[in-house]
Amino acid sequence: MEPMDTGADTGMVADWETLRSLVGLTGQPTIAPVAVSADVVSMWCVAMGVTDPAYVDGAAAPPAMLDVWSMVGLDAGIGATATTDDPHHRAYGMLSEAGFTGVVATNSDQSYDRLLQPGDQLTRHTTLASVSDRKRTALGEGHFVTTESEFRDHAGDRVGTLRFTVFKFRPVSGGPGGGDSGAPSPERPRPRWNADQAWHWEGLRDRELRIQRFPSGRLVHPPQVTDPATGEPAGGPETAGHHDWVVASGDATLHSWTVTRHPPHPAFPQPNVVGLVELAEGVRLVTNVVGVPPERLAVGMPLVLDFHDTHEDVTLHRFRPVVPPRRDRPRPADEVAAGDRLPLTPIDVTVDLVTGGAVATRDPQDVHHDPAAARDKGLPDVFMNILTSTGLVTRWIGDWAGPGAVLDSVRIGLGSPTHPGDLLTLDGSVTSIADGSTIEVAFTGRTERGTHVHGTATVVLPDSGPTSASGSGG
Amino acid sequence: MLTNARQTAIVGIGATEFSKESGRTPMRLAVEACLAACADAGVDPSRVDGMSLFSMERNHEIEVARNLGIDELRFFSMVNHGGGGGCATVAMASMAVHSGAADYVLAYRAFNERSWRRFGTGVAGHHTGHEADDVSYSWTSPFGLVTPAQWAAMFATRYMHDHGATSEDFGRIAVADRRHAANNPAAFFHGRPITLAEHQESRMIADPIRLLDCCQESDGGQALLITTLDRARDLAQRPAVIGAAAQGVAGGQWMMRSYYRDDITGLPEMGVVARQLWKSTGLGPTDIQTAMLYDHFTPLVLPQFEEFGFCGPGEAKDFIADGAIEIGGRLPINTNGGQLGEAYIHGMNGIAEGVRQVRGTSVNQVDDVTNVLVTSGSGVPTSGLVLTTEGP
Repeated sequence: MEPMDTGADTGMVADWETLRSLVGLTGQPTIAPVAVSADVVSMWCVAMGVTDPAYVDGAAAPPAMLDVWSMVGLDAGIGATATTDDPHHRAYGMLSEAGFTGVVATNSDQSYDRLLQPGDQLTRHTTLASVSDRKRTALGEGHFVTTESEFRDHAGDRVGTLRFTVFKFRPVSGGPGGGDSGAPSPERPRPRWNADQAWHWEGLRDRELRIQRFPSGRLVHPPQVTDPATGEPAGGPETAGHHDWVVASGDATLHSWTVTRHPPHPAFPQPNVVGLVELAEGVRLVTNVVGVPPERLAVGMPLVLDFHDTHEDVTLHRFRPVVPPRRDRPRPADEVAAGDRLPLTPIDVTVDLVTGGAVATRDPQDVHHDPAAARDKGLPDVFMNILTSTGLVTRWIGDWAGPGAVLDSVRIGLGSPTHPGDLLTLDGSVTSIADGSTIEVAFTGRTERGTHVHGTATVVLPDSGPTSASGSGG
Repeated sequence: MLTNARQTAIVGIGATEFSKESGRTPMRLAVEACLAACADAGVDPSRVDGMSLFSMERNHEIEVARNLGIDELRFFSMVNHGGGGGCATVAMASMAVHSGAADYVLAYRAFNERSWRRFGTGVAGHHTGHEADDVSYSWTSPFGLVTPAQWAAMFATRYMHDHGATSEDFGRIAVADRRHAANNPAAFFHGRPITLAEHQESRMIADPIRLLDCCQESDGGQALLITTLDRARDLAQRPAVIGAAAQGVAGGQWMMRSYYRDDITGLPEMGVVARQLWKSTGLGPTDIQTAMLYDHFTPLVLPQFEEFGFCGPGEAKDFIADGAIEIGGRLPINTNGGQLGEAYIHGMNGIAEGVRQVRGTSVNQVDDVTNVLVTSGSGVPTSGLVLTTEGP
């Protein structure tokens, strides 16, 4: 979210002075509607793809769930919102009455004092920290509202803090995703084929990448009508005109690449990465490489096959980076250095992920599960909520860090919303190491629409691996 | 061994001005260039009885022949595959006049490839049929690989990886060409040399190709007149003897997209040309004083040095270091400024510059020129020639 000062005052809000007078006030403590529970933790882990054994069974709650417990949740009914006299709720209400009915979260800075266990019952203390002047963003005009919350357990001890900013905006009719912009989207160049290659393109429709195989066993791509080595027709002499193929395993390495920048072709995202990949079967093909920022492209990098539908009757292949499995042993701090890269990790943003993530984080906002409601607010479709973005980022860091790593804090900023159909690619690196074992990771998550999420996280790593700690045990 | 080696000559060269907007039709440019070439040679256009073109030329020989008042054309030829055909038009003409198929052959190229159509926009939206040449683009265009710069970039990335070349190595070609163009009043870059730093700061077009790695989309026309050496000796200019001219296609050949060869860092079709030229002329790399190397994109200039044996595979970055390819160096290239600095006339202006070097009339004249190498399109079915002062 890149706000521009409108230069205008705040005249759209009827009682701006009253609204401003709420800033700095702390509301009544609110008791979280649900206690920490293993079932809610397990559901959250499924939605986020968390497989860390420390959490999947709900023995403890992943730290990033901190504010899930105080969300109003779907218990109150789909579409419900809290209505209290708390300063921040009054501020939201005054802005809604002034027409700023849209809401998107833009920033979430969390820090954690301890891991939560089932049975912990939290109380939230929230202060209205600021209300900005009117700003203009891609979503429309509105105000940024920031709250600062402390979460305390039943003993009164603080367990975590949250600084949270939302943008309350006046939806723009036909906004970034509005349906009435009228401009036809340009078509990307269609593949053309005849009887000599139709089987290849038909295969892609069935989501398989077919490589021509000659009777000699030789594989050739792009297809030919005769075996260049033997002169035999495709399919063998007795079946000339028919074609034989093998289905590619999908494993490949990047042989060469370019990024097409000028002139920009309107049917392609910018930047568009075109790769020449070498398949494990030994043939090359030109394709798109997705999920790799241009600065991380490298000859030889392993890639894996993916498909996407580009026209009503055309499916194309594309390749994405190989994501390593979750680290299954601790990552000792002394094996980490500033500058270490975390694995590029593309995540398919699906309806299931967006709506499942909203449910698992107890977020009742309709824009995360109701496409019509999202369109009413100027967006093209439902979009991922910030708690899901946070969950995915922290899962990715946890999978890299391995067992025994504990998330200490995470600061999230949201940029362009991400919708079903997007590919969200997480990228990041270690920026610093403090106290020997606390590392900071800076990260971004990008889609074709731009940067969806960026921020930093601090993680406490084990001082040294248990293998070295336990010495000669093995 | 070519039997027409050293038997024929380029006797006339003629060009229009080179510009971003000619203000007239390509047909006018073609006719002006052809008339200028005839005048340069002192040959009345009515004596022309042959025409030699390459496939992207849209001013067909019958149109130009009508305009020049030619009653009989006995030889006409069109070489396929665009910019690789430049020197091939001379090869066809040389064979024609040597065999007696024709006496005087015009080879020409004329277009408005800046003001009418942006030539560099490539094939997006083209090739919508189902013939083999339409289908061949289906392996690249749907992925957004549609422009010549993008096609060339795929080779460049791998060349850098395999041979340790850098963007600055490509930049040395750009700097040399623009330095030479700076002395050439006909060049876009006349009076405008560039520095390596400016090259490095120029924007990315298709990684790793930068703006200053690219030739200039141009309007203009260039014509050449070819006849036998016997006739040439009676004409107005010192003959530029065609030592040899040859074509080349190699295994796994595609148009700008020969991506399926084991090694994509070379230009084996250029090697086919090189072997023929050296064999038929009895010359080798050390006999060449200056070379006009096809330079639509700088990365594809480097492997040309390697294919012609000026250096070993992957060594071009070392060969071109220290100003070796600039005036005063051991092999000045593209002394007209090349297509990066003078204009992109599909390589035909490089042949004309080769003629001027043999005549001794270049704005960047190299001392004691006896043999000049000229090449055509790189990354495509191609051609090349050696021009020389010496007959048989």
